[in-house]
Amino acid sequence: MADSSGTTLMDLITADAPPPPAASYSSSSSVSSTVAGQQYQPQQVSTKTTLGEKKSKRAALLQIQNDTISAAKAALNPVRANIIPYNSQKRKKKPVSYAQLARSIHELAATSDQKSSQKQLVHHVFPKLAVYNSVDPSLAPSLLMLNQQCEDRTVLRYVYYYLARILSDNGSQGLSQGGGIPTPNWDALADIDAVGGVTRADVVPRIVNQLTTEAMNTDVEFHARRLQALKALTYAPSSNTEILSKLYEIVFDILNKVADVPQKKKGLFGAKGGDKESIIRSNLQYAALSALRRLPLDPGNPAFLHRAVQGISFADPVAVRHSLEIISELAARDPYAVAVALGCCPWRYFLIGTDSHHVNFIEASGTLAVVHVLCRPIYLCCDFIKRALQDVLHLHDVLARVSLAKLCHSISRARALDERPDIKSQFNSVLYQLLLDPSERVCFEVILCILGRYDKTERTEERATGWYRLTREILKLPEAPSNSKDKSQKTRRPQPLIKLVMRRLESSFRSFSRPVLHAAARVVQEMGKSRAAAFAVGLQDIDEGVNVNSFSDTADSVDSDMNDDSHPEDIRKATSMSNVGRGKDTIAGMLASLMEVVRTTVACECIYVRAMVIKALIWMQSPYESFDELKSIIAAELSDPAWPATLLNDVLLTLHARFKATPHMAVTLLEIARIFATKVPGKIDADVLQLLWKTCLVGAGPDGKHTALEAVTIVLDLPPPQPGSMSGFTSVDMVSASDPKSALALQRLVQAAVWFLGENANYAASEYAWESATPPGTALMMLDADKMVAAASSRNPTLAGALTRLQRCAFSGSWEIRIVAVQALTTMAIRSGEPFRLQIYEFLHTLAQGGMQSQLSEMHLSNGEDQGASGTGLGVLITPMIKVLDEMYGAQDDLIKEIRNHDNAKKEWTDDELKKLYETHERLLDLVSLFCYVPRAKYLPLGPISAKLIDIYRTRHNISVSTGLSDPAVATGISELIYESKPAPVQPDTLDDDLVNAWAANLGDGPAMNRVNEFLAGAGTDAPDVDEENIISRPSVSYDDMWAKTLLEAPELEEDDVRSSGSSSPESTGSVETSISSHFGGMNYPSLFSSKPSTYSSSQTSIREEPPPYSSPDRYNSFENPLAGRGSQSFGFPDDERVSSGNPQFGTALYDFTAGGDDELSLTAGEEIEVEYEVDGWFYVKKKRPGRDGKMAGLVPVLYVNQS
Amino acid sequence: MLMAVLISNSVGNILVERFNGVPSEERLHWRSFLVKLGADNLQRASNEELFVASHKSVHIVYTVLGDVCIYIVGKDAYDELALAEVMFVITSLIKDACKKSPTERLFLDKYGKICLCLDEIFWKGIVENTNKERIKRLTRLKPPGEF
Repeated sequence: MADSSGTTLMDLITADAPPPPAASYSSSSSVSSTVAGQQYQPQQVSTKTTLGEKKSKRAALLQIQNDTISAAKAALNPVRANIIPYNSQKRKKKPVSYAQLARSIHELAATSDQKSSQKQLVHHVFPKLAVYNSVDPSLAPSLLMLNQQCEDRTVLRYVYYYLARILSDNGSQGLSQGGGIPTPNWDALADIDAVGGVTRADVVPRIVNQLTTEAMNTDVEFHARRLQALKALTYAPSSNTEILSKLYEIVFDILNKVADVPQKKKGLFGAKGGDKESIIRSNLQYAALSALRRLPLDPGNPAFLHRAVQGISFADPVAVRHSLEIISELAARDPYAVAVALGCCPWRYFLIGTDSHHVNFIEASGTLAVVHVLCRPIYLCCDFIKRALQDVLHLHDVLARVSLAKLCHSISRARALDERPDIKSQFNSVLYQLLLDPSERVCFEVILCILGRYDKTERTEERATGWYRLTREILKLPEAPSNSKDKSQKTRRPQPLIKLVMRRLESSFRSFSRPVLHAAARVVQEMGKSRAAAFAVGLQDIDEGVNVNSFSDTADSVDSDMNDDSHPEDIRKATSMSNVGRGKDTIAGMLASLMEVVRTTVACECIYVRAMVIKALIWMQSPYESFDELKSIIAAELSDPAWPATLLNDVLLTLHARFKATPHMAVTLLEIARIFATKVPGKIDADVLQLLWKTCLVGAGPDGKHTALEAVTIVLDLPPPQPGSMSGFTSVDMVSASDPKSALALQRLVQAAVWFLGENANYAASEYAWESATPPGTALMMLDADKMVAAASSRNPTLAGALTRLQRCAFSGSWEIRIVAVQALTTMAIRSGEPFRLQIYEFLHTLAQGGMQSQLSEMHLSNGEDQGASGTGLGVLITPMIKVLDEMYGAQDDLIKEIRNHDNAKKEWTDDELKKLYETHERLLDLVSLFCYVPRAKYLPLGPISAKLIDIYRTRHNISVSTGLSDPAVATGISELIYESKPAPVQPDTLDDDLVNAWAANLGDGPAMNRVNEFLAGAGTDAPDVDEENIISRPSVSYDDMWAKTLLEAPELEEDDVRSSGSSSPESTGSVETSISSHFGGMNYPSLFSSKPSTYSSSQTSIREEPPPYSSPDRYNSFENPLAGRGSQSFGFPDDERVSSGNPQFGTALYDFTAGGDDELSLTAGEEIEVEYEVDGWFYVKKKRPGRDGKMAGLVPVLYVNQS
Repeated sequence: MLMAVLISNSVGNILVERFNGVPSEERLHWRSFLVKLGADNLQRASNEELFVASHKSVHIVYTVLGDVCIYIVGKDAYDELALAEVMFVITSLIKDACKKSPTERLFLDKYGKICLCLDEIFWKGIVENTNKERIKRLTRLKPPGEF
C-alpha cells in the first residue's frame, strides 16, 4: 500500500545515515539509552513490515557503507555519532527507527545548550517523532530535562507537546490518538523488560509536578511558558482526580489574581495597543479560562460560575467564547443561578451600530442586555456597575455567538425564572436579535432554539410552543436611542420571525456549499418536527392561512410609532379566509415557497444532503396535503444505487419518528415504507421495517388498526406479483428484486411480514377466542367450507383477509415463508374464535395431505421452486399443530357429551369428574402455550361452556385464578393491549408499578427499538456501520449484554428448526417469552414451564403488542426482573442456558486460544479451568492463576474446552 | 464536541488522527467509514471543496487538499457549519505550513509543524484558536497577545 503512493510515513522519518552498529554506542551514549535502544529494536522491524518497507540489495550495501562512515564519525565526534548527520542530504534516505529517535533525544537533551543540538531537535528529531502514534514514557526524563535547560522556544514548544501526549495517553491499551505509525503499549513493554523499563506511572507524577510548578510561576518573562504548561496539564485524562484538583487550584489561583484586577480603560479593541500588564493579564485570563473549559463542569460551585461569568468581560476573544460556552452549559442545568450570577455583576450590553472602526455604543440603561448590530458581528459591551465603560469586545467568534444564543434560550425559557419576566424577555430579545446574525451557524442555532429543539429531552409541548413562537412572534428591533451618532440606522419595522427565517432559509438553499445546504435542510426538518408537534397537540390557532403581517401589524398598533406602513386591507384579506395558502405572506404561502426550494435541493449530487432533504420533506409533509409528490421523490431517489443502507434505514426511522408524532398518518407512512420494501429490499433492515409496522399498528388506535394491518399485508402481495392486486398501484411498485441478493432480502421482508401478520392479526381484528360470543358447537355445524368462509368474512373482514393472505403464502412462498405462514396460521387458530379456528384447522388438514393446490389453483403461482411431492412439504411441521387442534376439538366434544349426560341424568358433577376436566383444561393450556402466547387466566381451550365448571373446581380447591399481577401477561403489560376494552388490571398491591413497567418495557426493546430510541434521542457516538468487507471489532460486552443478545438473536438459530413453532420474528418474542418464563415460571405455574423441558418450551411466542415505549426508559438497567425476589427460585427453568454458577464445572483447555477481544480469555492447551456458565457457544471460564495477559476470567469457545 | 480529525493520503493511509470521546473499538469503524467516504467522493473533487455527511446526530465535513484528505467529525455545537469553519482554519494552516497545496511528501516534511498547529486549533474536543496569526504565535511559544 505504501509503495503505491510513492511516499510513506516511513519516508518522512528517513534518516540520512543509518544508526551505527551497536558497538559504537559504548563510546558515546549512556548505558540506559543503549538499553532503551535495544529494547525498541523489535518495534522497528514490525513497523517496517507494517508499512511494507522493501529493502533492496542496493540499500543493504549502502547501509554497510554508511555504517562504516558513521562508525568513523562516532569515533571523532561522540555527540553526533548517533544522531542524524544533516550534512549528508544526498545519500539515499533510510528510515530512522523509533529507537534511534529516542536515543537522539536522550543525547541531545544532555547537550541542549548547543545550537546544533537544538537545530537537530527542531528539524529532525521532534518532527519525526510526531509521526509515531504515541510517545514512550521513558523519554519523559529527557524531555523534562530539556524543559528545564533549553532556551529555544521551538524546542520548548515541542517538549510541551510531547509531555501533553504522555499525560493524555490513557495507557490502557497503548492506544492513544495520533495516527501515523502504530506504537506498542509502552507500559506493557516496560513490564516485560527485565532491566526495569519506565512506565507512565513512573513519570506522570514528575511531569505533573514540573508543569504545575511552571504553571504557578508568576514571573512575567515566563508567562508564555506558563500558558503552555497549563495547557499541557489539561491533557491529563479527567479520570485522574489528583491532577484535576491541582488544575482547579492553579486555574482559580490565576483567576483570583487576574480576573478581579480593575482594568484600566483602554482602546475598544482591548488587546491591541494595550499596556504590557493588561496584555499579560489578558493572556493569563485566556489560559485560565481555556483550562477551566476543559475541566469538568461544576454546576453547584458558585466560584466556578462566578469566574465563568467574569470571563465574559475579558479582553481575549477566545476566553470570552470559553466563558460563554461554560455559562451556557451551566444555564442549561441551572438557569436561575446563572441569571442571578449575570445579574449580580450587572453587566450591560450596549447597542452598537458600527462601520468598521466607527463604533457607537449607547448605554441601554438599567439591566437590559441587548445588542444589535446591523448585519455585523455582535459587539458585546459589558462592564461592572461601579466602573465606567472599559471594554468592548469584538466577537468575531461564531461559536461564541452560538453559545450566547444557547445561553439566552436557556434563560428565557427557564421555568425557574417565571417570576422574573423582565429577565426572561431581555434574554429572549437578545435571542431574536441574533436571528439577524450574518453567520448562518448562529442564525440556524437561534432558529433551533426558537423551535424548542435545544436539549435532547425535548417534549411535544415544547416543540409545539416552539412552532407557535416561530409563526407568531415578532422581532422588534430595539429603538435607536436619540443619542445615537449613527443616523444612518433606519427605524426598522418589526418583522415577524417566520418571515425572517423563511427568507434566510431560502437564501441558504441557494448556496453552493454542501454544509450550508445540509444544515439548512436539517433546520427545515426540525421545523417540521415542531410543526408536527403543534398539529399533534392541536394548538388551536394553527391556521396557516393567516397573513403574518397581521401579527406584526397588531404589534405595530401597540407600538404606535412604528406602524408606518400597515395595511388594513391585508388584515382584512387575511382574516377573511379566502386566500388560504395563496397569499405570499401567509404562513402556508411562505412554507409552500420554502418547500419548493427544498424540493429542488433533491437535485444536489451529495447523497447526504439529499437524505436530509427527504427527511425534511417527510417532516414537513402536512397530513392534509397529497403525498404523491413525496412518494414520487422517494421512489425516484431509491432507484439511485448510490444510497447506502444506513442512510436508507435512517430515512425509514424518520418515517417511524414522524408516525409517532402524528399517529393518524400511519397508513400513508406505511405506504411510503412499502416503497422501500419494494425498491431496495436488500438495503433495508427487516427489523426496522417491522418495528415501523408494529408502531403503526399499535399506534393507529382502535379505528385505524384495520387499515394499518391492511397496509402491512400489502407487502405480502409483492413476491409473486399478483395480477389482480397490482392494478391499483402506480409504477412506484414495480418490484426491483431482480438480482438474487435483493430477491433474498425481499423474501426475508416477506417472512417478517407473514410473521407479523400471524402475531398481530388478532389484535388488529379485535378477535379473540376468549371473547368470542360464538359457542363452539355452532361452528361445528358449518362444515361446508364455502359457507364457513362467507360467515367468517362477514363477521370479521380484517381477520378473514389476513387469513386468506396467509393461506396463499402457505402455498406460494418459498420454503421459509411457507413455514412461517403455517406457524402464523396456527397462532391465529389458537387465538381466534370460531369459525376462524375451524377454517384454519380444515386448511391445515388439507395442507398436510397435499392436494389442496387444485382446490386453490387460482392462488397457486409458482415462484419457480419445486413445491415438493406432497404439494407443500409441510407435513412434518403441521402434524403437531393439527394434533393440538385435534385435541382441543376432541376435548370439547367430550365435554359437550359429558354435559349432556349430566343434564340428562340430572346429576351434579362429582369432584373427580371436575378434577379430570380441570386437568384436561390445564393440559390443553400447556399444549397451546407451546405454540403461541395466550393469557392463561382467560383462555378456555374447552370452550366457553367449560368456564363455569372450571370455576367451581377452582373455588372448591382454592386454586387461585391467575389474574392480576401474577399473570405474566399482566405483569409484562401485554394484557393491557389484549384486553384493551377493559381497564388495565394492574393492582398496585405489593409491587412497585414503575419497576414492573420498566422491566416490561425492557422486554420491548429489541435492537431496532434501541436504534430508534437512540435515533430519536440523537445519540450519535456509535460508530457508523461499515460494509461487510470491513473488520468487525468486538466491543467488550458484559455478561448481561450477552445474555440479552442471545435473546435477541435467537431466531437466527431457530430458523432452521422446523419444530420451532412460532417465533421467526427478528425480535424473537419467543426468546423473550423464555425470559418471561424463566422469571415468572415459578410463581403460579409450576406445571407450565418447569414440568416440560421439551424443545418446544423454548420457542413459544407471545403477543407483543404493547406499544414501544415512546419515552425510552433507562434501557441499560439490564434485564433484571424486579419481581424475581418474590417467586421461588426452585421453579426456575430447568434447561435454562445458564449453568448455575453455584455449581461450577471443571475442565481443561484442549487447544491454545488467543483472546480476540476484551471479554475473551486466552488459553493454553492443557490448562485447567473452571466453567462458570455457557452462553451462545462460549463458556465463561475462570483460570486458577492469571495468564500472561493478567486476566483470570473470560469467554472461550465451547469447543476449546474439555469438560470433565 | 469535536469527535475526530483525520488526515489521510489519497490512498487512504491515515497520516494524522485525533480522536476525542470515541471509544477505541469505534475508532476502527470511523476510520474505515471516513476513508470510504473519501474514496467514494473525493476522487474528482477540487481542492478545498467541502463535502458533508452525517451519521445519526454526528456531522462530518471533509475535503481534499493537494494529496491529502481531511475529515472532521463533530456533534452538538459542532455541526456542519461549525466544522466547515474549523476546516477552513486547518486547510489554510496546512497550506501555510507547506507553502502551497501539499503533496504527501511536503505534508510529511512539515509533519511536526502541522501537529503543533493542530494542537493549537483544538484539543480535548474543543475548538480553541481560529485566528491564524494567533495560532502561529502560539506554535512558536509566544503568548497570544504580545506587548
